[in-house]
Amino acid sequence: MTDVKNMENAVEFKRHNPKILKGNFAAAEAAKLCKAGFIPAYPITPQTTIVEELSRKVATGEMDATYVNMDSEHSVFAAAMGAAMAGERVFTATSGQGLFYAHEVLHAIAHFRLPMVVCNVGRPSIPWNIWADQTDSLAQRDTGWIQIYTETSQEVLDTIIQGYIITETLDIPVMVVLDAFYLSHTSENVWVPEQSLVDEFLPPKQKKGVEIDGYHPKAIGGLIPPEEYETFEYAWWKDALKVEDLVNTVGKQFGEKFGRNYQAVEAININEKTEMVFVTTSTITTTVRGILNLHPEIGILKIRLMKPFPKKSVLEALKPLSDNALIVNIERNFLGGKEGALMQEMKRALYGERYFKMYDIYAGMGGKDVSPITIENMIDKVRSNPDEIIWIDFE
Amino acid sequence: MADLVYKFLIGEEKVYPGALSCRGCGWALLVRHIASILGENTVYVVPASCYSIIAGPYGYNHVKGSTVHTVFAAAPATATGVRAALDRQGNKDANVVVLAGDGGTFDIGLQSLSGAASRGERIIYVCNNNGAYMNTGIQTSTATPYGAVTTTNPNPSYKKTWPKDLMGIVSSHNIPYAATCSLAFIQDFRRKVERAKNADGFSFLMIDGPCPPGHKTDPSQSISIARLAVETKLFPLFEVEHHRVKINYYPKKEIPVEECLKLQGRFRHLFKENATDALKTIQEQVDSNWKRLVKLEEISYQF
Ligand code: SF4
Repeated sequence: MTDVKNMENAVEFKRHNPKILKGNFAAAEAAKLCKAGFIPAYPITPQTTIVEELSRKVATGEMDATYVNMDSEHSVFAAAMGAAMAGERVFTATSGQGLFYAHEVLHAIAHFRLPMVVCNVGRPSIPWNIWADQTDSLAQRDTGWIQIYTETSQEVLDTIIQGYIITETLDIPVMVVLDAFYLSHTSENVWVPEQSLVDEFLPPKQKKGVEIDGYHPKAIGGLIPPEEYETFEYAWWKDALKVEDLVNTVGKQFGEKFGRNYQAVEAININEKTEMVFVTTSTITTTVRGILNLHPEIGILKIRLMKPFPKKSVLEALKPLSDNALIVNIERNFLGGKEGALMQEMKRALYGERYFKMYDIYAGMGGKDVSPITIENMIDKVRSNPDEIIWIDFE
Repeated sequence: MADLVYKFLIGEEKVYPGALSCRGCGWALLVRHIASILGENTVYVVPASCYSIIAGPYGYNHVKGSTVHTVFAAAPATATGVRAALDRQGNKDANVVVLAGDGGTFDIGLQSLSGAASRGERIIYVCNNNGAYMNTGIQTSTATPYGAVTTTNPNPSYKKTWPKDLMGIVSSHNIPYAATCSLAFIQDFRRKVERAKNADGFSFLMIDGPCPPGHKTDPSQSISIARLAVETKLFPLFEVEHHRVKINYYPKKEIPVEECLKLQGRFRHLFKENATDALKTIQEQVDSNWKRLVKLEEISYQF
């Protein structure tokens, strides 16, 4: 949550307008600033207000885009795919079941190497629950999309702008993830850049000659024999290896232009004296930030770029840490295995590089509040509990 | 000797020579004609179907036009995206065409088809209806005719439900143009492709698709069997403009359905002793469908 007092003291960003926006409206604002030309949509809570706002912007002429009410999320992503094949800048948003339903098409979009930015407002699966949870997007980790998790409405807006540079550079689709309600429906102060500033940073969508245009006959996606299939995966893999550096570079360039810096990860209070590092994503990060003044021994490793997991940046961030420090992953996801997504990724990243005692805490699933007290309980639990896996505030 | 004047229906071929289809397949002929009418500024959107093979593997393109392969369930949605993009880029003359089989149309793609039809997308949807999932090896679809044997309705059983009335479903979307077409009635078929091309909104063509391996027929008889299907009223030729029905061909003689069915191995079991009931049931249904169609035509222009 934004501290009002801090906001008053905050720097004023040149060529920006201060607005009070919910995360979903920040997303819609960003899509407009990025001049997305095609927006296929289907309602699903808690994403709906993003596409509602975009439909309004298009209907009133505030935004020049083709907005289409589709028949399902599967069709939304299939339409997004068609427009991206023909070279349009595409935006849409979904949540939970919608993302699960689109799973097949997520693979197709990534395998076709189609650039686009999509917002997912995270919620879990059945039994019905519409509240904050990252199981939906984390279950799509292996579809080949770049995934960036956001902490504030400002970060949502800024990340979508960066997302278009990233996706159009590498032709790998980008998913920007928001927490349901804590972010999607919570009003915050947001500095909205002027259109001209965004235009200077993000040029109009460039065609690369591979697009369908009708005038230059070509075929996309025909059957590929076994001898050739791997050549596509190999080329993609080479580009996937570039994602982490690109996210860092674009984040830095964004900082130079807009005054707000972003990196694949953010290290907070990680030094040789840090005893315990919380590995966090999204809004839980803000809550942990809030207790740091009481706990100078605690640090935070905020993961922004989740997929591909930024191993280099993580190792760099943990470099000052002593070998006795504890790593505590906070998981607002359940993937059907023993460990949550962060623990899996952290172990893979650290394997053969550094050894830390590591804990995994399931917390806040299905929207359960992770309050500062919960974080305090986590600290106590880790200090006293010998189990590697902890379910916090759980009877 | 006077100069011979050749007058071919296809003036300029818009497909490349060679075909990956089976002998006697309807797809090859169908696409030749469609492509010759629609021209090169055309994007064919292809879900999983036999045509996704016939269109050519990676590096090849069967048509002189653009081909976009897409997921099975959502070709009309992909076509929606392509259409929107081309419109935005000023290429409003381009044709965007879905080429799908009956599985992709009647079953897995029905929702997406309904969505695109409801939205009035400027798309031509072509369904090559050969009455089963042929590309995966002849499995039953909801287009499979009553009485047919497939690998998932195998002997000694056969399919005992009726194919859904897809023309009814599609035309109920109040679209500007829907029509059935036969490769045995090429002039009629070509006229309908022209109509679909010029329709102001979503248009739909359903072609009775010959498939020798799936229907267990002699490839050389593909066209004559297609003609018999129309003559026996198994596959009536008609078109629907919004809700108005027009029958395009009235068979001149009463020919029993068996004349068409007996040429197809998938119906062979119906001709065994003690199996005559099924033939009778099919004949009754065909007669009643035809009468209904005639009635629909009658009332179509009364209001
Ligand atoms: S299986 Fe049937 S539809 Fe498929 S290519 Fe062969 S003849 Fe054509």
